[in-house]
Amino acid sequence: MLLENTYYRIIHVKTDGLSAVYRIAFLPGCEVYAGHFPGNPVCPGVCNIGTIKECAMKLTGQKLFISTIKQCRLTAIATPDGSPEVDIAITAIPTGKGFLITANITDAEKIYMQYKGEMTI
Amino acid sequence: MISEDITKLIPQRDPILMIDKLIEVDDDAALTCFSVRAGNYFIDEDRWLSETGLIEHIAQSASAWAGYKAIDAGAGTPPVGYIGEVKNFRCYRCPEIGDELLTSITIGSKIAGITLITGETRVSGEIIAGTQMKIFISPNP
Repeated sequence: MLLENTYYRIIHVKTDGLSAVYRIAFLPGCEVYAGHFPGNPVCPGVCNIGTIKECAMKLTGQKLFISTIKQCRLTAIATPDGSPEVDIAITAIPTGKGFLITANITDAEKIYMQYKGEMTI
Repeated sequence: MISEDITKLIPQRDPILMIDKLIEVDDDAALTCFSVRAGNYFIDEDRWLSETGLIEHIAQSASAWAGYKAIDAGAGTPPVGYIGEVKNFRCYRCPEIGDELLTSITIGSKIAGITLITGETRVSGEIIAGTQMKIFISPNP
């Protein structure tokens, strides 16, 4: 499913060529929290990876497929209440088959995710 | 076949419950299955399960191994596991509605609450995805 406007909402974007920073807000009413976890809402790491993918598609204007993740470190737990807004800083480098995507998810206090991998067209 | 209901082994629930059964388990390996159904949280606008749904399925497969071990050792509820790192993930194709995922998990070293795992997912014998992961497992009090 599309995560935009169900799992997160974009507040603003600063784009510079194939780099951008997306400020997003997690949406606490998202249905995913019924199961992750009951009574203890925690942003699923895979939904944050999915959010990076959707931002990468907006940045590049292409429909992308996550063919490899070289490394994705999940360095802090994000929750829709404790970390309501985060920045996704993302850079896309063309590879021929697609893009090497590097992205960090942060707020003023924490780094939540450091991501590097190829997304193909 | 392990008889326990999967919800006794992992804390995730619908709409993000991504395994149907723990089929086999031993000290350093597990085998799980999952049927891709319409209405799944990770199905895209057509009929494909996303790459992130595959990652979650592999992580929950490792979590089911940890849950089985914890319950076997006398815990009342399964531990909560968090993905700490995804490394060398490869996705060859996304599965679609109707596909049956069969996933083998190999457990590596366990240090300070972090378990290294390797997972590989097949559909009808074809490898569609594989990854290494670090999983943080926080035991319940």
